[in-house]
Amino acid sequence: MNIIVCVKQIPDPETPASSFRVDEAAKKVVPAQGIPPVVNPYDPQATEAALRLKEAAGGGKVTVISLGPESARDAIKHALAMGADEGILLNDPGFEGIDNFQTAVALAKAIEKVGQYDLILMGRAAADWDMGVVPMGVATLLGIPCVSIAKAIERVDGKVRVTRVLDDGFQTVEAPLPAVVSVSNEFGEPRYPQLRQIMLAAKKTVQVWNAADLGLSADQLGEANRWLKLEALYVPKVESKVEIIEADSPEEKARILAQKLRADKLI
Amino acid sequence: MDFDLTPEQQAIREQARALAAQFDDAYWRRCDAEHRFPWEFYQAFADAGWLGICIPPEYGGAGLGISEAAILLEEVAASGAAMNGASALHLTVFGLNPVVRHGSEELKRRILPEAAAGRLHVAFGITEPDAGSDTPSITTRAIRDGDHFIIRGKKVWTSKALEASKVLLLARTTPLEECRKRTDGMTLFLADLDPRYVTIRPIEKLGRNAVDSNEVFYDDLPVPVRDVVGEVDKGFYHLLDGLNPERILVAAEALGIGKAALRRATAYARSRHVFGRPIGQNQGIQFPLADSYAKLQAAELMVRKAAWLYDNGRPCGAEANMAKYLASEWAFEAADRALQVHGGFGYAKEFDVERYWREVRVMRIAPVTQEMVLNYLAQHELGLPRSY
Ligand SMILES: Cc1cc2nc3c(=O)[nH]c(=O)nc-3n(C[C@H](O)[C@H](O)[C@H](O)COP(=O)(O)OP(=O)(O)OC[C@H]3O[C@@H](n4cnc5c(N)ncnc54)[C@H](O)[C@@H]3O)c2cc1C
Ligand SMILES: Cc1cc2nc3c(=O)[nH]c(=O)nc-3n(C[C@H](O)[C@H](O)[C@H](O)COP(=O)(O)OP(=O)(O)OC[C@H]3O[C@@H](n4cnc5c(N)ncnc54)[C@H](O)[C@@H]3O)c2cc1C
Repeated sequence: MNIIVCVKQIPDPETPASSFRVDEAAKKVVPAQGIPPVVNPYDPQATEAALRLKEAAGGGKVTVISLGPESARDAIKHALAMGADEGILLNDPGFEGIDNFQTAVALAKAIEKVGQYDLILMGRAAADWDMGVVPMGVATLLGIPCVSIAKAIERVDGKVRVTRVLDDGFQTVEAPLPAVVSVSNEFGEPRYPQLRQIMLAAKKTVQVWNAADLGLSADQLGEANRWLKLEALYVPKVESKVEIIEADSPEEKARILAQKLRADKLI
Repeated sequence: MDFDLTPEQQAIREQARALAAQFDDAYWRRCDAEHRFPWEFYQAFADAGWLGICIPPEYGGAGLGISEAAILLEEVAASGAAMNGASALHLTVFGLNPVVRHGSEELKRRILPEAAAGRLHVAFGITEPDAGSDTPSITTRAIRDGDHFIIRGKKVWTSKALEASKVLLLARTTPLEECRKRTDGMTLFLADLDPRYVTIRPIEKLGRNAVDSNEVFYDDLPVPVRDVVGEVDKGFYHLLDGLNPERILVAAEALGIGKAALRRATAYARSRHVFGRPIGQNQGIQFPLADSYAKLQAAELMVRKAAWLYDNGRPCGAEANMAKYLASEWAFEAADRALQVHGGFGYAKEFDVERYWREVRVMRIAPVTQEMVLNYLAQHELGLPRSY
């Protein structure tokens, strides 16, 4: 079974608030000093799913693709250390600033270039912007089904059976292959890379494909082809006010408190 | 000259860091407060194959060098695990070096794969109440009786003895007065900590409370001759080979704690506002932290150099000693400064820096004291007359 896993490197979600800064003019998050970026936390779960499916199928290949800066190589290396077979980095100055749709275009081109695939796995969302639309975009562009937010994935008779996480329960659906499935944290803990595998992974070379390798023009990656327009980016101000309720008895204080909470529509 | 880590070393750094990050400061605070061995942490590193990092592949390990082990233990310490984490792994990562180097084939096959898999814990019993820096004055005796040695004596500070089933034990097989040299006449055993003959009593100590250190009493413990490591009467020399790499690893662990302390101090200095601005804006806060940063960077270079020399089969006595000296001195200083930067909160357990401070303090004493390092350098590097 040949599986492609898409992984993304993101700023560490554990970055302390004191180190988190936004450049409002440039509408960009300023990389936090001394806090290296990390693999999007859902992506190792997608890799784990791929490895389990490959093991269950008794063979195949797991290819990892990441679009990002040179440092995104680390996200790929992590998947290789977990046991993935090959890695491809999509890296080009033209990728700077592209939107989710253009990301999906680039990933879809790369997936077509890889050619052989039964299944494409991704994390349910990237924890930086938390939009979770790239899996649908890729599936649409490739003309194949997309099943989102999976907690379990199984291959049955040339199809894929996926248990999806809903707000109030689970839903099991089947889709023909190839398909895109986005994997949720409910899937379970990803494996820790084994030292032996880490050493093997370190020796592997990660291929690098640029925009031209994917047949993407500057125009396709330009402003005009962005669907998402970022109007403003800022850290919300949190204000706190204290009001001491004075009254003769605790009952009276409670009554005033309840009235105030209701007036503020909090209860 | 090449200061870059190899891709493998870089990967080891990242993956060790990622795995260690699964266990946060709250976990270590709890283990320390409860005096509880960090089993979950230990098992995670065992399962991922890290414990056998220095054990040869033919005995189930990864066969890597001290450079790689130093990176592993530095990252473990730097994660906030500090000595509680590093010591939990340290003895398996490197304590068995004398067995690797001098043990019989049978002993190696019996012991090393079990240790690499994390199933066998081995403690290290060298120090005695009246013999710490001066190892040759140990009085624990091993007397041959047929195909066994009978061991009697008292050790102190034996770390992890409560978890371990075996101990690498140094005992006198020839009395000091009968030896030509003071360093002759000692033998290294891989003995069972058999409760019928061995009494273990934990020592209450300043820190690193998740890993016990103990007084251990040996009351005529029989040890089969096949559990002698290397040659009878040559135990001290077998240990010597392992001293330099052990110092390098301890230096790396100290370095890791120093980095953890500095990380916490700078984060706090950025976020704590006093007199209307972040305290980190004052030179009185910045300069000590910048000074510690420079010192830790320098110590790191000495650790890398010493490890590189060792892995390339070159003498590294001076460098290993200097690495341990500088790293433990400067890491303690960094931890002390981190505590100071936290003001009153530095003294509170909740902020962890007091734990780093307590734990890194031991590295100026064990496995060798700073003074004994200076004795070594004065004598062997500066050619001054031996003072003791
Ligand atoms: C937490 C902890 C864990 C330990 N774990 C282990 C373990 O697992 N196994 C084990 O065998 N040991 C262990 N040790 C023991 C450790 O190796 C010894 O404490 C260390 O070697 C120092 O010996 P000592 O305590 O007898 O000090 P001493 O040798 O009594 O030294 C006391 C002081 O005198 C100084 N001094 C001594 N001689 C000289 C000299 N000639 N010139 C100048 N100054 C001198 C020393 O530097 C020191 O400051 C551990 C110790 C600690 C604290
Ligand atoms: C065990 C203990 C008992 C205590 N008991 C009491 C008690 O009974 N009653 C009570 O009221 N308080 C008590 N305290 C609180 C103690 O007085 C304060 O911790 C102390 O005054 C420092 O204040 P802080 O902790 O807010 O540190 P901060 O003021 O936050 O200072 C943090 C660090 O920044 C440095 N710093 C701040 N401003 C500057 C500057 N402009 N230039 C250079 N450096 C600067 C400080 O020197 C310090 O190193 C106690 C504290 C402890 C640890």
